[in-house]
Formats: sequence, C-alpha cells, structure tokens
Amino acid sequence: MHPAIFIGFSVLVGLLFALQEYLNARRWGYRIGMLFLSEMWGMQFLLWGVICWLLWRFLRSFVVNAGLGTMLARILPLSIALSILEEMIWVLFFPRVPIDRPPMDYWHRLTFQLNAEFVDSMAIFWCAFIFFRGVAYYQKFREKETTAARLQVQLVQARLAALRMQLNPHFLFNAMNSISSLMRTDVEAADTMLEQLSSLLRITLDRGEVQLVPLHKEVEFVELYMAMQQQRFAGKVKQTLSVEPELHDALVPALILQPIVENAYVHGVSKSCEHWELAIDIRRDGKRLRMSVVNSGNGLDLVHKEPERKGVGLANVRDRLRLHYGERGSLSLREVGMGRVNVTIALPLQMNGNGTEEAARFDA
Amino acid sequence: MTIQVVLADDEILARQKLRLLLREQADCEVVGECATAAETVALVHATHPDVVFLDIRMPDMDGFDVVDALSAEPEFTMPRIVFTTAYDQYAVRAFDVHAVDYLLKPFAAKRLRTTLQRIRERANGAPAESARRNGERYTSRIVFKSRGRILFLPVSEIRWIAAEENYVRISTESETHLLRETMAHLEERFDPQLFLRVHRSAIVNLQHVKEVRTESDGETAVILINGQKVPMSRSYRSRIQGLLRH
Repeated sequence: MHPAIFIGFSVLVGLLFALQEYLNARRWGYRIGMLFLSEMWGMQFLLWGVICWLLWRFLRSFVVNAGLGTMLARILPLSIALSILEEMIWVLFFPRVPIDRPPMDYWHRLTFQLNAEFVDSMAIFWCAFIFFRGVAYYQKFREKETTAARLQVQLVQARLAALRMQLNPHFLFNAMNSISSLMRTDVEAADTMLEQLSSLLRITLDRGEVQLVPLHKEVEFVELYMAMQQQRFAGKVKQTLSVEPELHDALVPALILQPIVENAYVHGVSKSCEHWELAIDIRRDGKRLRMSVVNSGNGLDLVHKEPERKGVGLANVRDRLRLHYGERGSLSLREVGMGRVNVTIALPLQMNGNGTEEAARFDA
Repeated sequence: MTIQVVLADDEILARQKLRLLLREQADCEVVGECATAAETVALVHATHPDVVFLDIRMPDMDGFDVVDALSAEPEFTMPRIVFTTAYDQYAVRAFDVHAVDYLLKPFAAKRLRTTLQRIRERANGAPAESARRNGERYTSRIVFKSRGRILFLPVSEIRWIAAEENYVRISTESETHLLRETMAHLEERFDPQLFLRVHRSAIVNLQHVKEVRTESDGETAVILINGQKVPMSRSYRSRIQGLLRH
C-alpha cells in the first residue's frame, strides 16, 4: 500500500475526532477553535499513520504471523513503547497543552498527557493490529482462490492435451500402414500419400499445443486427410465439403473434425464399396457453429453392433467438446435414411479476433 | 534442348532419389553431384549447369551461401536454383533470391514433375515470364503455404479467384487455395492485361476464359476453358468483351 493512503486515511480519522470534539464542546458551552482541535487530533493521527505504515512496511509478516505468545511477549511491550513514543513526540509539538493550566515543563506535560491519552493510544495501536491481521487473511484467501482457479485451468489443459495426443499417433500409424501396403502395388500412389502424410505432420507440428484454431486451418487439415483417404480408396468416394465463407475465422478445437471424418470412412467405405459418399457441411446457426458430416453406409446398427470399432474417436470428440464448452457444445449421431449416418457437432460461435495468418508474398 | 542438372545434398539417399527420378525424364541430364557447399560452387563453375537442386542445410555453408557465392561473380550466368529441404521456414528467402521452386522433403515424383515443367516453361520464356516483360510492375509469382506445402505459384497458372469474406480462394487447374488477401490488393498487383475483375467477388485469368454467356434468366457469366462458370456483373461486360477481342 502506498504510504500516502495510510497516512491520509489516519489523518482523516483524526479530523473526524476533532470535529466530534468541537461539536461536543459547543454543546456544553465551551469555546474552543476548530483549527486548534484539528491540529491536535490531526497530529496525533498523523503520527499513528506514520507508525502504522512503518509497521506495515517493515514488520508486516511478524505482525501478521504472530501467535499468542509473541503477541504478549513482544507486541504488547512494543505497543506500550510506541504509545509512549507517540505521546513524547506529540507533546513536543504542542507546548500550550494542557490549556488553561499554568505553564509546565516537558516531563510534566508528558505525564499529564499520558494519563489522559495512554489508553486511547493503546486502543489505536491494537485496532491497527487487528486491521492488519484482517487484510492479511483476506489477501491469503484471495491468493488461494486464484491458485485454485489456475490449477483448475491447468488440469483442463492437460486433459485436453492428452486427448489430442490420443488422436495423432493412432491415425499416423494407420496411414503409414496404408503406405506400406501401397508400396507393393502402386509406388506412385505410395509416394503421393507419403508426401500428403508429411504435410499433415507439418501442419500438426506447426500448430504446436494450441487448443483452438481458426476453422479454415481445421478444414485445410481435413481436406488433406480426405485427399489422403482418396488415395487409399482409389478415388471411389464422392467427397463434398462446403464452408460458409464468413466462418473461415471462427475458432474451433484443433482436430475436432478429423476423428469424425475418419469414423465416417471406417463405418462407410470399408463396408459398402459402390456409391460411396461423404459430405461435410459447415454453417452458422444463429450464435452457434454447426459442422455436420454425412456418410452413406449401413446405418447406425453397425456402429452399435461393433462398439469396439468405435474406438477413441467419437468419445474423444465428445470429451473435448465438454471440456471446452460444457453444456454449450454437443455431438449428435443419427441415421438419416438410406443407411446414411449424420454426425453433427454444434458449438458456440467464437471469432478469431487477431488474424495472425501469414499472408502470401508477391514478387516484383 | 537438354536440361543439365547438378545435385547438391549431403545425403546420399536424397541425391539418389533425385537421380532416379530425373533419369525418367528424357530431357534431363545429371552432370554432377556434390555433398558440400564448397564442392557445389566449384562444380557449378566447372559444369555450367542449367539447374541446381540445392539442399539448404549442408555441413560447411548453407544453400544461400552457395547462391551468394555464385551471384557475386558478374560474368557468371546464374543457373536456376531449386531448393530441396525438410525445413519450411526458408521459403520466403528462397523466393526472394528468385529460386524456381522450393521442394519440401519428402516430395512426390508428381511434385518434381511440376517443377521441371516450370523450368522448361521458363527456358522457353513462356507464360510465367510474360508479366515480368510488362515492365516488372506486376506480380508474376506468389509464394504461400497451403495444406502443409510451400507453393511458388506462377500467376499464369491461376484460373480464377473468388472472394470469401476476409480471404480469397485461388483456383488452379487441379486445386484451390485459401489465402488471407483482399480482392483490391490482388487487382492492384496482377497485370490487368491478364486478370480482370468481373464481379465484386471474382477475378478471372483471361487466358483461361472461353466465352461470356448470357443465361436464360438474363444473368451473365464467364465460362472458363475447363467449363467452370464464374458469375459476372453486367457493368463489367463491355470491358471483358473489349479485352477478349484482342
């Protein structure tokens, strides 16, 4: 705390006492100057303000942490000593006091003053003492509260990071296995797929630990993933992807869409091999962002019959949506006729304020 | 005309890959290989190749030092440089020293063929250079990152550009790329002899325009050679017809 606040506040208290005494004196018919009263009270509390500030500045932890023993053994003597010291200084400033008495020497005046004011001074000291303890308790409480909040955030971050990590290696190994297989049958395709996989890794590494990314980055990732799958399924899948342009800068959890698309491939294309379709549609719905992935296939029965194949994908997405958005994020899975399955994610729309994209560079 | 090539990479397998892939190209000949920057400078002096495939991180100096050393000599005709590297952070620097391309390892054979095609076109002074001949005022190439790759895209390969809010979508023959750019800026940087704004949210490359058609509902559209239809505002109609008649 700034010393001016301390001292200013205590002088203000002193002036209030002066006003009180002035009003009392008038009521009882005494005439005593307000200015004089203000000087006396103001000086007393100014001295206490300085003393308290010094205590706060240099002896805070001692005062705040003192047990009962220390209070009696150290702080009580300290309070007596400080009260006497304060009076000694005060008396120096006001040689006319006590008023209406014949002139006295310094020690007489001091004794007189101590008789009248010592208890008051002790009371002021102990009030300040209690006030310090209160402030310290409050500060400690606030500190604990912010620490708890920070820990909570860190915990959520750690869980989100763990959930994200589950995704990467899983599809990385699948892709490498596809490449290993293609190497024997179609070197050119294996070559292309390896390049695509490197691009995916590069994007992932560039992103680092970031949890929320602009939608166009997530879409870019999914496009690349789909191109790689297209390689794997020899172009048999009819893929469509549409995104409302105003949503390019909307923030979504990184890698939220890829597991759903992967899931669509697992449950659709590997089963039926004729007219296979995958449609991704991302649009705004009021204050929400809705991403839906529809795939042709064999309906939902398949998903329920083979729970082990559902893997970590959708459960992971659901967990992450809950951690990020609580009740405001959702994932729904439903059959929409002809064996088609629709997976929809909805989350609160949140735009990326700072467009930190690296722009293109032009020659000439 | 044969394209004479020098391969500079400290990794044997990296050179082998390029050697094998280039062997499939009838018009390419590998005239030398080297593993350090110093060797590269010496070999390029000795063989005067058309193209150097240059790794950026090499044991002694880096690829840019090689470029500096070569371009320091006034008499020497600089070979075209294709950087090959696993690092993506040097792309802009490579672009600034006028490298032909930037191959991020691992690259597919297809990607290398695109590079070679660009080298052939440049050798023939084909479209890529046409903007440059127009007094250097306009962009002939742009560099950007898309889907984890670095692209040095000659603007001649752009078919059309669509505005998407704070972004533009650039369509080439086989792909589209989303860039954080404005239509106004592109219009300013692209040669107006080649690129024409036909709509608030569309710019077309005139080299890829087949015709302008009025639909039955009275709307006008630009039809590209590949059949793609781009919407057009009526007010632009006279301008495009004037330009197409050339």
